[in-house]
Amino acid sequence: MTFDYNQQHLIKMANQIAGNMPTRENVPAQIVQHMMQFWTPPMRADLKKIAEHTAELLSDDVLAAVAMQD
Amino acid sequence: MNKPIEIAIEDLDLGTPAALSESTVTVHIDGKAVDVPAGTSIMRAASLAGTQIPKLCATDSLDAHGSCRLCLVEVEGRKGTPASCTTPCQEGMSVKTQTPRLDKLRKGVMELYISDHPLDCLTCSANGDCELQDMAGVVGLRSVRYEEGSNHLDAGKDNSNPYFSFDASKCIVCSRCVRACSEVQGTFALTIAARGFESKVSPSEENAFLDSECVSCGACVQACPTATLQEKQVIDLGVPTRKVKTTCAYCGVGCSFVAELRGDELVRMVPDKQGGANAGHSCVKGRFAWGYATHSDRITRPMVRETTDSEWREVEWPEAIAFAADRFKAIQQKHGIDALGGITSSRCTNEEVYVVQKMVRASLQTNNVDTCARVCHSPTGYGLKQTFGTSAGTQDFASVQQADVIMVIGANPTDAHPVFGSRMKRRLREGAKLIVIDPRSIDLVKSPHIKATSHLQLQPGTNVAVVNALAHVIATEGWIDEAFVQERCDVASFNAWRRFISLPENSPENLAEISGVAAETIREAAATYAKAGNSAIYYGLGVTEHSQGSTMVMAMANLAMATGNIGRDGVGINPLRGQNNVQGACDMGSFPHEFSGYRHVSDETAREQFTALWGVDLREEPGMRIPNMLDAAISGNFRGMYIQGEDIAQSDPNSQHVAAALSAMDCVVVQDLFLNETSKFAHVFLPGTSFLEKDGTFTNAERRINRVRPVVPPASGLAEWEVTCALSEAMGYTMDYANASEIMDEIAALTPTFAGVSFDLLDERGSIQWPCNEQAPEGTPIMHAQRFVRGEGQFVTTPYVPTDERSTRKFPLLLTTGRILSQYNVGAQTRRTDNTVWHAEDILEIHEADAELRGVADGDWIEVASRAGSTRMRAHISDDIPAGVVYTTFHHPVSGTNVITTDNSDWATNCPEYKVTAVEIRPSSAIAVGM
Repeated sequence: MTFDYNQQHLIKMANQIAGNMPTRENVPAQIVQHMMQFWTPPMRADLKKIAEHTAELLSDDVLAAVAMQD
Repeated sequence: MNKPIEIAIEDLDLGTPAALSESTVTVHIDGKAVDVPAGTSIMRAASLAGTQIPKLCATDSLDAHGSCRLCLVEVEGRKGTPASCTTPCQEGMSVKTQTPRLDKLRKGVMELYISDHPLDCLTCSANGDCELQDMAGVVGLRSVRYEEGSNHLDAGKDNSNPYFSFDASKCIVCSRCVRACSEVQGTFALTIAARGFESKVSPSEENAFLDSECVSCGACVQACPTATLQEKQVIDLGVPTRKVKTTCAYCGVGCSFVAELRGDELVRMVPDKQGGANAGHSCVKGRFAWGYATHSDRITRPMVRETTDSEWREVEWPEAIAFAADRFKAIQQKHGIDALGGITSSRCTNEEVYVVQKMVRASLQTNNVDTCARVCHSPTGYGLKQTFGTSAGTQDFASVQQADVIMVIGANPTDAHPVFGSRMKRRLREGAKLIVIDPRSIDLVKSPHIKATSHLQLQPGTNVAVVNALAHVIATEGWIDEAFVQERCDVASFNAWRRFISLPENSPENLAEISGVAAETIREAAATYAKAGNSAIYYGLGVTEHSQGSTMVMAMANLAMATGNIGRDGVGINPLRGQNNVQGACDMGSFPHEFSGYRHVSDETAREQFTALWGVDLREEPGMRIPNMLDAAISGNFRGMYIQGEDIAQSDPNSQHVAAALSAMDCVVVQDLFLNETSKFAHVFLPGTSFLEKDGTFTNAERRINRVRPVVPPASGLAEWEVTCALSEAMGYTMDYANASEIMDEIAALTPTFAGVSFDLLDERGSIQWPCNEQAPEGTPIMHAQRFVRGEGQFVTTPYVPTDERSTRKFPLLLTTGRILSQYNVGAQTRRTDNTVWHAEDILEIHEADAELRGVADGDWIEVASRAGSTRMRAHISDDIPAGVVYTTFHHPVSGTNVITTDNSDWATNCPEYKVTAVEIRPSSAIAVGM
């Protein structure tokens, strides 16, 4: 899967959010809450597609967060 | 007992500053009893009692000097005739201000002054605006008995400063200018050189003003009682004939000014003594650099063009509006409603910003609206909301006068917020301690009569590490204010934070190598901050414009709460906002996830309120931020944008990416004063209004809402909000306001923190700090005094995560960016003024060792390259920065500093990481290139 600039940026943003969440307890839930607050639905949908096709580009916490939104 | 009458009397110079004592004394001035605070001068007491004692060297913005001897009085029971300006009132004192003896003495003093002063009143540029002339009249001087002798009538003029003239022949050596430079501005550029008859005002060491340390704040001009120091505009145009109070449009200090005009021609801007933010002071930008408003580059007619490579075509307003609306509708039909969005501007009024975000949400039916605060203080919004409950600085500016320790982090107040910087310097000269956390040695670190107690000269990108280390010391040394934490904060979050911050990984010793700051220096600074009575943190974009900008804001909030430095005068967390209305633009619902008052779009109660008043359904999902919109444009999903008063092609990071995104859009609408860099990619240009043409409000960094009053009519014929409303109407949604006041009424109806605000209230009170509502009808100078907005203060753990942007073999230096005093942001305004005499180009500051290694000499042209791009500029070898770090400004499009900044951003808000870019420097040819 090739990514356009937008998707590359989403990958970086998601991993960065996961790495910076203040508390290390239940990081996926915090990521979900952050995305619901600040990300548009198409951005969340794009991230889900990325997770489905190239999971290796996303951190485990991001993947868990994506799974929680299903 | 008479009621104290220490009240503000507008425009009346009371001669000496107010005494701060809470006890009062009663004195009798010419038989009239008056109660004043103990320590009040006789001169001030007399003024308050309605008697103006003649004076020349005294003015109420400066400490009494007692040199002119014109204000002599008689005090019952005392010998002689003391100067009323330097003699404090005492209980029961009986003073006579007018007696034959005093009349004779004063006339004699005036006669001596006038004997060495040009007798050219009728043709003098200060005729009608000269205290010397006034006093000669007051004392009844009718002739001068002295024969012509030695005098200063041939003393020369210094016209070196572009804005004011110094005519030494008219100087009476009253020292008001010298004292203003020292006491008010704190620069100490002026002195009285020589002695006796040879005494004269001298900038620095007898330099011309332009070559001296003078920062052109205008305080000396303001203080001068004669035509000696005078604005060149007054000399050229004459004394003003009408006045309008308004607010400066530059930085987030938000100084109040009196615009003085002849007809519709602006003659000068005079800082307003009653101004809540500036109390009569100003800087070179607000005081003098307003000529851009009538610059020949101004575009005052709407323009359109089919494609960005075709010529602009001037059109009438209806055609321009229809053109933009047709394009926007076509985009909506073809690509969907989320293919459009808008950007609001912190240089526009609250009312102008409000209607743009309303147009986007209600008319365009999307939440794709963002503001330029995205690239400056969005982490402040996130961090302070998480910890305190709202996005706002906690103090008023006056609070700094009660601070015992001032910690300045990633800010350069003397350049970027100069009027507040002067206030801060005054407190530092009084003895407050100073901690500076900054990779650069900013002016405050060592300036006249000021020396920082600690300068934590950290590596760019390690803010969080340093503040964590400070907090670690405070927590492990037992310096926590346990009572404050228990009473005011969420204890569970505090306990979690205390466990985290006490870990060895956060110790100064562990973080010293990462941050570049010695552990002992951190420990000393922590003790200074924690052990003072009142410690205050002031910060700027050196905090926010990092990959951990939001984390850093929360780390500072933790520090303040842990030490109990919140909720009273002299403490707090204070963001120094970059532009005049950053606070207001954020307050007005400019972020894609929030309505005005920082209420999330998913908040049903809030959305129902807006839906009911606006009469339209609103989206409950957040919209795109600026970088998301630009990314989506490159992907082809975002096709049109309304850009209010911003120049994202110059100001936003990774300029090539911004250019590519703008180029990919079908309709870019720019509303601005000038054809800026962004307009190169625009299809519609809607001429904006300068601050002199606006009617509305700005909200400054201390949440102070100030009126912006129209000084002259809009050059384009329409107010900006009228243009926005016209476009909204053309898109099918009517926004109907008769005037800007009605917009504020709507803001107040929908925004709890603005509920009590109206133009009438602002006109009555001058200004007001939000929250202003039923609970706080007179506003709120200090926030979180009894409880935090969110209830209990929330501690947040703040692990340090290094930025991805690191120095490498290919790019071994770290570039950080900032501003300079004379220029402002992308320079669209200041580059079109005479301020260019101080800063005509962006310069790269480089340490001597780094320069020598690369064969670069001072003044050489160099190429600066990063992984994002390269540009050229001149080098200046400086010891203000450590080896391994370089610094420049971003005021000039020709150097295009943001060509080299990257798209790294804050993890929570996407605020760009302007402050850390890995670069390499090499000598270059002298050809400057743009983007």
